Amino acid sequence: MMKILKFRHPELGEWRIKRSSRMSLFAHETLLFLSILALTTTSSLAAATLSQQIDPPEVNLGDQVTVTFTIQNGGSVNVQLPQVDGLQVIGNSNSTNITFNNGSFSSAITQAFALLPARAGDFTIPAFDIHTQDGQTLHAHAMKIHVVGNGSTSSSSTPAPAPAPNPATIPGGPVIIPPGNPPNNPPPDNSGNSADLNGSSTNVPLDANGQPAKVFMIITPKTTDAYVGETIPMRIEFYIRIDVAAQQDSLPTIKGSDFLMNNLSVRPQEDDVSLMDAPYHRETWVTAISAPKNGDFPLQMERDTYWTKPTQNRFSDPFGNLFFNRPSLAHGNIPSNQLIIHVHALPDEGRPANFTGAIGEFKVTATSAPDSVDMGEPVTLHFTVSGEGNFDYVKCPSLAPDPAWKSYVPSSKIDYRDESHTQGVKTFEQAVIPQKNGNLPLPAASFSYFDSTTKHYVTVPVNLPSITVTGTAPTPAPTASDNAADAATTAPAGPKAVDLMPNRVEMGTPQPSLVPVYRQPWFWILQGSLILFLLMGTLFVYLRSRNRPDNFHIERAQNLNSMHQEEDAMSEAVRRNDPEAFFLAARHAVQLKLGTQWRLKPEAITLAEIRTRNASLAETLEPLFNQADEVIYSGMASPGLDLAQWERRVRQEFLQPQFA
Amino acid sequence: MNFFCKPSLLALLVLASFFFSFSLLADNSDTELDTANRAYLEGHYDDSAMLFKEIIATRGYSAPLCFNLGNAEAKAGHPGLAILNYERARYLAPGDPDIDHNLQLARKQAGLDPNSYRWWQILLRTASPIAGYLIVAGLALLILALAGNATVDKTKKPLLRRIFRAIFFVGIPVCLLLGFVELCAIGLTNRIEGVIVTKDANLRLSPFESAESVGTIPEGELVTVEGRHNDYLWIEARNHHFGWIQEKDLEPVIAGSFNAKPSN
Repeated sequence: MMKILKFRHPELGEWRIKRSSRMSLFAHETLLFLSILALTTTSSLAAATLSQQIDPPEVNLGDQVTVTFTIQNGGSVNVQLPQVDGLQVIGNSNSTNITFNNGSFSSAITQAFALLPARAGDFTIPAFDIHTQDGQTLHAHAMKIHVVGNGSTSSSSTPAPAPAPNPATIPGGPVIIPPGNPPNNPPPDNSGNSADLNGSSTNVPLDANGQPAKVFMIITPKTTDAYVGETIPMRIEFYIRIDVAAQQDSLPTIKGSDFLMNNLSVRPQEDDVSLMDAPYHRETWVTAISAPKNGDFPLQMERDTYWTKPTQNRFSDPFGNLFFNRPSLAHGNIPSNQLIIHVHALPDEGRPANFTGAIGEFKVTATSAPDSVDMGEPVTLHFTVSGEGNFDYVKCPSLAPDPAWKSYVPSSKIDYRDESHTQGVKTFEQAVIPQKNGNLPLPAASFSYFDSTTKHYVTVPVNLPSITVTGTAPTPAPTASDNAADAATTAPAGPKAVDLMPNRVEMGTPQPSLVPVYRQPWFWILQGSLILFLLMGTLFVYLRSRNRPDNFHIERAQNLNSMHQEEDAMSEAVRRNDPEAFFLAARHAVQLKLGTQWRLKPEAITLAEIRTRNASLAETLEPLFNQADEVIYSGMASPGLDLAQWERRVRQEFLQPQFA
Repeated sequence: MNFFCKPSLLALLVLASFFFSFSLLADNSDTELDTANRAYLEGHYDDSAMLFKEIIATRGYSAPLCFNLGNAEAKAGHPGLAILNYERARYLAPGDPDIDHNLQLARKQAGLDPNSYRWWQILLRTASPIAGYLIVAGLALLILALAGNATVDKTKKPLLRRIFRAIFFVGIPVCLLLGFVELCAIGLTNRIEGVIVTKDANLRLSPFESAESVGTIPEGELVTVEGRHNDYLWIEARNHHFGWIQEKDLEPVIAGSFNAKPSN
């Protein structure tokens, strides 16, 4: 229920009043007040001007002409179009555009008339005067219309006018009222909400009071002359006056079964328009209809509609029904205008053999891939049919019979390019398989349709390239044997064999279901259990290792302590000049050092063990270990043995950290 | 005869009757298979297909049965059903060259691309069950290695302990890799697939009979089912065509898998 009064910054230009969606009563009345203010102001500020337009000036008989008058700054104006014999006014509409520009209001009132010629020939709408609200007189010039009879085509080459422009996108533009036949009268509705088209020359239906109907629907097909199966784009406009607007829960439907209609979008295009000075909410659908049989058929739609209906409270309201006047919903079927659609049968004369019912205007292109194949390999043909028409009947271009090619059923895809699904691109993929080798031209292809503009059948040849086919002819299929086992052992007839591999004679291991293992619960339970068990085991091992006493560190500390003690013993032995005690202590210190490093007991560190682990170290330590053995086992030292020098050497070379 | 002989004799009888009945059952199934194969060789392809279907209904699915049924359907002129059964056979025995050959031939003869999958999809499909079983085995081995590492005395059997540790630390990344392969394979094979079994199946814009057709799909095409609405399935064809198709036009590769798709 958002209401917009959208003002642009005055320094940047004009202020424009717009409404975007459904408007509350308050907002509507505010706008109305502003409109009145604007209209009053404009008349005193600027002179009224008139512009007029006729579109198109030349039409085919049966098609409509729109005459539009736009009065700038003329206040409220009611244009009375002079009656012309042979021209019937089938509808009119008003729209108002108000702008506030650089401190001044301006208004543009557009009044459009839809005219339907009754016969071929030239018509002239005579010049006439338009009197504005503030007393000015505007002079409308005479306008000429040329109507071409059946059997010839107007120079405009447009069989029917384009769908009505949308006033929401063309501010101030005319509201086009449906073409074709005079509107039929929907049944009168006592509620006053249905259209009363009896004897009226306008297609904006009036209620009993002469006011525009609160709710009405207008259908505008692109043409009222069509062929069986042809799709006719059609605009459906549903109008409901703002003050009675209510939420709708249904879509318009076609009355009767003479026409087929594409599905309507659940969300139509919505906007607000002004018709005969009354604000309306409009819902617009663009769809397409088609007729399955020829003849003249009435086309009318209806919609199950809700609208708000004020309910008068039986108690008098001293505040002017401010508190007790509550709206309630009314409900009814609202019919649209009725048109007669002339549906013609397609001519038999000149109908191509491959015509599939496509009507419209189409273009066809084709490609193929690959350029060269082995015999028996498929070539894919890609056809693209684009244009406007009934794509449901557009089939794949037909291939001429060619014994060199075997063709298959094509697949197709449609991409529609407009809302009515009459413009689009349909693509086909068809496989063909060569039956012989060589440079083979692809089969001739063609596409036929009925051109609704020229009213003739058209056959479009589709060019396809040649394909290089390599390989040899298929070998014959293996002969069926009476024995299944024989068949099972029959070998394929070589790598190019094109027949099926023979049946199996073993049943294999049947399983009740094809459900894959990963979709079976036991598989996930098993995996989950194993993962859980593994995680728990890892956690257990980790916790156990944390709680275990660290023997290594204790042992290492003890070894270090012992090493220091042995170093002290070495110093004491040097002081006492006791070689046996010195070498005992020195060798043990080295054993402690290496035992700690290699995580071995000091007693296990022998020269042989050192040699297996580190040969160069063994070479360095060998003099110490030999001297120690000599002194310990002989009980006497060599003469000239300098213990102090040995101590320095042991400390510097063997017990330093870098030594380790 | 003493008393101890009686239970032994009874057990022997039970075993004998079990094996006898089993052999009878096996003989019976082989007879059915022979009958179906003979009907195929005599050119009664529809009868042969019906007999293979009966065997599958009573015994279950196997790659040879699906393969033979595919052959019978192909010869009977039902390319869609033939391709469906070859796909099932390939599902049960990935990598079987005979199945691949017949499937490619049937697809070619139906005017389709001979390969319904790309090479990496075939690789993943083949790897999926293997990876699953390898993961189970790998996890069991990891548990064994963990237990061994925790119980073996490192001073007495350092080599054995080293082997356990190596198994453990190599096994974990291997299992993770297998798990990744398995997840990829599941991602691929978890799609619900079906084969078009009718001629000119219509793709529609909405799941209603009156809905607009947006194209057709040839018989035998493999499609992926993305959703369902009543009797209509929302599918994606190989060429990225999307649309609604009637359930009767489609047969699931894994029987019953369409029911797994919740209604939209």
